[in-house]
Amino acid sequence: MSERIDVLIIGAGPAGVAAGIGARREGAERVVVIERDWDLGGILQQCIHPGFGLRTFKEELTGPEYMHRFIEQAHNEGVEFRTNTMVFQIDRDNNTVWTMNKERGIEALNPSAIVLTMGCRERPLGAIRIPGTRPAGIYTAGTAQRFVNMEGYMPGKRAVILGSGDIGLIMARRMIWEGAEVEGVYEVMSWPGGLRRNIAQCLDDYGIPFHLRTTVTKIHGQDRLEGVTVAEVDDHMTPIKGTERFVECDTLLLAIGLIPENELSRMAGVDIHPVTGGPVVNDLLQTSNPAIFAAGNVVIVYDLVDNVSDEGLIAGASAAKFAAGKISPNVRRIPVKGGENVRLYSPQYVTGETDATIFMRVTHPIEGACRVFAEPNLYSQRLRYARPGEMNEVHIKAEQIRNAPDLSEITIDIQPL
Amino acid sequence: MSEERKFICVSCPLGCGLTVTLDDSGEVSKVEGNTCARGASYARSEVKDPRRVFASTVRVKGGKLPVCPVRSKTPAPKGKLFEISEAVARLEVNAPVKIGQVLIHNVCGTDADIVASRDLEAV
Amino acid sequence: MNYDIVIIGSGITGASIARELSKYKLRIAVIDKASELPAGASRANSSMIHGGFDDKPGTMKSKFCVKGNRLWHKLKDILDVHLDECGSYVCAFNDEEVKHLEKLLEQGKANGCEGLEIISGDRLREKEPNVSPDIVAALWSPEAGIINNFEAVNAMIESAKINGAELFLETQAAGLLLDDKGNIRGVSTTKGDFTAPIVINAGGVHSGEIASWAGDKSFRIIPTKGEYYLLDRTTQGFIHSFLFACPSKAGKGITVLQTAEGNLMSGPTASEQEDPEDRSTTPEGLAEVLKGARRLVPKFPVNMNITTFAGVRANTESGDFEISALKSPRGFINAAGIKSPGFTSAPAIAEYIAELIKSELADRITLSPNEKFIPERRNIPRFLYMDMAERKALAEKDPSYAQIVCRCETVTEGQVLEAIRRGARTITAVKMMTRAGTGRCQGGFCCPRVAEILSRELGIPLDEITRHGGESKLLAGKTKEPLLNRKGAVSE
Repeated sequence: MSERIDVLIIGAGPAGVAAGIGARREGAERVVVIERDWDLGGILQQCIHPGFGLRTFKEELTGPEYMHRFIEQAHNEGVEFRTNTMVFQIDRDNNTVWTMNKERGIEALNPSAIVLTMGCRERPLGAIRIPGTRPAGIYTAGTAQRFVNMEGYMPGKRAVILGSGDIGLIMARRMIWEGAEVEGVYEVMSWPGGLRRNIAQCLDDYGIPFHLRTTVTKIHGQDRLEGVTVAEVDDHMTPIKGTERFVECDTLLLAIGLIPENELSRMAGVDIHPVTGGPVVNDLLQTSNPAIFAAGNVVIVYDLVDNVSDEGLIAGASAAKFAAGKISPNVRRIPVKGGENVRLYSPQYVTGETDATIFMRVTHPIEGACRVFAEPNLYSQRLRYARPGEMNEVHIKAEQIRNAPDLSEITIDIQPL
Repeated sequence: MSEERKFICVSCPLGCGLTVTLDDSGEVSKVEGNTCARGASYARSEVKDPRRVFASTVRVKGGKLPVCPVRSKTPAPKGKLFEISEAVARLEVNAPVKIGQVLIHNVCGTDADIVASRDLEAV
Repeated sequence: MNYDIVIIGSGITGASIARELSKYKLRIAVIDKASELPAGASRANSSMIHGGFDDKPGTMKSKFCVKGNRLWHKLKDILDVHLDECGSYVCAFNDEEVKHLEKLLEQGKANGCEGLEIISGDRLREKEPNVSPDIVAALWSPEAGIINNFEAVNAMIESAKINGAELFLETQAAGLLLDDKGNIRGVSTTKGDFTAPIVINAGGVHSGEIASWAGDKSFRIIPTKGEYYLLDRTTQGFIHSFLFACPSKAGKGITVLQTAEGNLMSGPTASEQEDPEDRSTTPEGLAEVLKGARRLVPKFPVNMNITTFAGVRANTESGDFEISALKSPRGFINAAGIKSPGFTSAPAIAEYIAELIKSELADRITLSPNEKFIPERRNIPRFLYMDMAERKALAEKDPSYAQIVCRCETVTEGQVLEAIRRGARTITAVKMMTRAGTGRCQGGFCCPRVAEILSRELGIPLDEITRHGGESKLLAGKTKEPLLNRKGAVSE
């Protein structure tokens, strides 16, 4: 028999550390967080720029500082951490979690509840199928960030950034501050992928050109990257003939999106939502496998780490309740449907067991007054604008659900006023 | 002649579009577009004395990592950021490093300190 | 450096010849300009072990393909290479194409293929539900299979090395050395001269140029690019075998297959080009592949694409292989123009080369059996395919197997270390030997980790590690250096 663990959490990034805290506060006795790195903090270890935790701590912290505060809390709460340990398999029939570690070897764990907090990974070059060669010097922005901020190496001397996700914008400034050149940032869409303030403080501050509706159409160079061809695109995102331009660079950084990391979730037989790419969850952050919960970017890619930590606390608490037999297998399951301008959202079900926050992104930007709402008459909030790069929220109180025993479906949407 | 300046507030993730009106003497007479007091004060600072928090790494001897992240504890003058980045580049510290540890006081004659932003153990 | 035989090129042809000749007491050198194997067409191809019905009876291709197919089915266990014995289908969309299937069936029988059968479209769809409803019939070849080509080339060359052959990477042939009678004396290379009475030209897409050094202008290589899509392994089972369309003049056409590792794949195009080294993918080529893939498999899930790539194959004007021992200069052997079904044919070509040496070049060298020949070679342990008991045992014996380096393909540090022991020096070499970096994130996660391990194990700085040799350095020095070296930087 393996050791007794009430709540096992996979990944010690912001979601996992918060889940540990949430589980302990809810009364779970043994809460263990498994982390594959030698240190805690996940991707925030390498996000050394300020911009984290304004809502939680009322000040802007760097990634390591933000995690430092949560990790201290987790230690105080009695959360156990197992570093240098990787979960490489979850058996779907009995929820056995297989871990490996150089000292402990390969072990099977059978926790009462599991929280998935593996975060997300970056979309690679292959996902966008750019023609050309495959030289050295092409990195996702996050890989480059790790090289620069944790290993102390430069990915190159003159970079082009494809995609305007926040990590790409942050890396543009980071490269400049290390004395490299950034030729420009190219975004295929008509709007930026990242936050407007990052366009301002990472690009505009340093005069880095930002090109919307433009993409890389060819990669050049045999050994090391020698340049890229960029071209403007039309409404169908097809490159426009005659707009091609060769740009000399030795580095191409990709900030073309993030994908929830769900290999383990799939192994565990958890239903994955085709649009979010993360587990289908209810507002307790319980997946289709009742003993498995999920939080943070493994579920849906968030903009703000504060939200990730909040969700981690909820998932940890829910897992602790489940481990203690306090979540009925018959909780209500009211489906949430996205309206016509909702690209993705999570959770997909509401139970009435807890106050629910539903996070969503619009398909098309609305530059002007609009309204985010949940029907029938559950929530309505006026907004000044709604943009795909910035998440919106719907809040529904548990009692609103409890008071509506016949409620069979909730629709959320954002529409101009 | 009054003058209008437009920029994006970087105080929080909202990124409000600010419009600042300067009067004839160059003083801020009006701030529009902000949604909070932080925005208003950012707008005033941005036209008079623009500042940014600087974040980078310093080289570390004998640490678990070869570099340790650092930041300016308070925002530093925007015009000094390259000078600061060079000063930080010249620095090499010994492990262990404690989070919050001041590594450079008043960097480049500014009133900002460079502090470590993580704990870094020695090997 | 003195050898009995120098083989130019260590693709599947050169590597197979090296292994075959290592069955004899010979000093063998294999040289290749690449930094890792496989490099050229052996890296970027359909990895098909063809059934052998496709080639006209009497051609070298038909002779070697069927024989090579049979050899691979044995070699897969001897060399510990992953060969999916999945069979193949040639799909017909109309009556005319059905007639073509019948022709192929007869041709296959004449070539000695076994088990060929024409089945109805409906029966095909029972086995492969995702193929087009418009397919009316298919030629089934149970002998066909799909090999892990990265493993196969490395297995061949490792087996040759186990039996005494020497491999020289990053060594490019520059010309031939002739003796005063005008016969072969060796090869000059970028790393010095390799002398030997016999030189074998297995130079792939460069084999025409190498042959011309020997004055052989009897054939010309037409570099022909083939572009491919490779999809995420979560597509496993979307189809289970190898699907051809009926061939056209341009080649066997766009195929759809499941690789030996379970990835869905489609390609290749066949576009002739001047430059033998241009392996860039093109918008037109990729569009053509997608069109062809969707014709066979209408719901081909291209959104699951993880990489696109291109290979350049050594097509010839004759359409056949160019294998012969030249009369002059004596000692020069062509194993040239090896294109599809080259991978399949390689072990049979290798046997033929040995016979050729015995029959035509006995005056230059004697082939006496190497009694110490060890046929077997074991692959680097594949953690992904082990059961839990095997994994536990291995991790207990060697803790480096309890550390994942590549998440997508579940490759452990132990495997990377073993690849380095077996000669890997670059990121791509580790990828070829362990599959680290072949998965859905295409090295995003493992590349920095593999680089660190290479740096540590080889004792070279991280910023000297290359992606694939030459100038393909991953990094551009340390941080802070650009600032400290900047003009006008304030010195201390």
